[in-house]
Amino acid sequence: MKTHTLLTVAVLFLFTVGAHAQYEQVNLTVFGMDCAPCAHAIHVSMKGIKGVNTVDVDLNTGLVTIKLTPGNTASMRQFNEAVEKNGFTHKDANAIVRGQLTGSTNAPVLEVTGTKDRYALAPLASGANISGLLGKMVTIEGTLPQVPKGKVSDTLRYKTITETR
Amino acid sequence: MKFILILTSALALTGTASAVDHGPVFGYATPVNSEREFSFDTGLIGRYGSRGTQLTSASAIGYGLTPHITFNAYLPGTFGSGSLPETRMAGGGEWSMSASWRFLHSVTSVGKRLESTTSLGLVVPGMQNDSGVLANLHRAPGVAATVASGLASRSQYLWFGGGYTRFAEADHDRRPDTLSWSAVYGYRPSRLRRGYDQWDYRGFVELTGEHTGGVRKNGLILSDSSSTTLWLGPSVLAIFKNVAIEGGVQGPLYQDESESIYGCERVRFAINISYFKFSSHTSSH
Repeated sequence: MKTHTLLTVAVLFLFTVGAHAQYEQVNLTVFGMDCAPCAHAIHVSMKGIKGVNTVDVDLNTGLVTIKLTPGNTASMRQFNEAVEKNGFTHKDANAIVRGQLTGSTNAPVLEVTGTKDRYALAPLASGANISGLLGKMVTIEGTLPQVPKGKVSDTLRYKTITETR
Repeated sequence: MKFILILTSALALTGTASAVDHGPVFGYATPVNSEREFSFDTGLIGRYGSRGTQLTSASAIGYGLTPHITFNAYLPGTFGSGSLPETRMAGGGEWSMSASWRFLHSVTSVGKRLESTTSLGLVVPGMQNDSGVLANLHRAPGVAATVASGLASRSQYLWFGGGYTRFAEADHDRRPDTLSWSAVYGYRPSRLRRGYDQWDYRGFVELTGEHTGGVRKNGLILSDSSSTTLWLGPSVLAIFKNVAIEGGVQGPLYQDESESIYGCERVRFAINISYFKFSSHTSSH
């Protein structure tokens, strides 16, 4: 009985970790970085976000690649802050993110569990039929359009959307 | 006690206009600290002339309150007995505290920024006496204001700046007002536009100029005590992540100063080491 209980708790824990693994990767093209300290400052700020595993900064392209650990609760606002506190801005953000698909077929919404992030979904190209995924955990690869400083995009333009198993 | 209180308050509130860290070593530039970033600078500035040498060991600390506002404190010590004109660009014994505000900031493409920064600060007499014609003056605090505008990019830098310092009068003596200006061009060759985990080098050509007004002693302006000079020279900046080393030298292009008072200033040089402590703090969500 005790073993059975422990097993159940372990399975529930694993499920919870899976459900809370939100942003897997975020790619930002940062404007304004001209030198090594600029890139280092971005690196330090991103690494300070709980759940960030690796950060790579390419000064010549401005591309900042952030990979996150499973179970993280990092939010998009934190990534934006890390850029803006160093005096820079960023263009569209590309992200691989997990969450629950809610809303309706015509107005689907991604709720990123464990954070307050919530995005209206719009297809990048022709719309896929996502009605079968409503209410399920999904993994989405898409783009968050550039927004003014201090704000977070409320729309995620998805390229791919798959059920998370 | 009152002096210490005023100084402590000033240190907590303001900073210098010294253009080190990410920029040129003599001229004015626009970069400021990022939010919650501390910067520490220490260096040596030298002036060599026909009537002696003056060395300034300069230490500065900066703190970024926001991405666009930085407080600085600049605490120099002087050595040597050169009889040289007042300067606000190549050392000197005044302690200064200032606040810098990057009031224009345009970042609309990869690796490029257009920006303008102004600073306002308090200048107070240091612990050491001056040498030469400034040696026996009663000293009083002053105010310093600067403004700089320019472009920073992966390949080129261009900054223009100017500053003005005015001292108060003390017992009918007054240090000369100083008007200074600079133009700086910087270049990073293509093969040095590397990753941030490698040394980052760039070279500058720095043109600086200063005009100092007459020295007031016992209520009278000393004749021929004003000066105007123009300086030109190269400097090199090397940065690895959060450590920077910079050095530069300048020679005179134009000098209008009394040889009987100041002699002939021939060379200015500076070397500076910086350390940046970036903040990893972000909000929880």
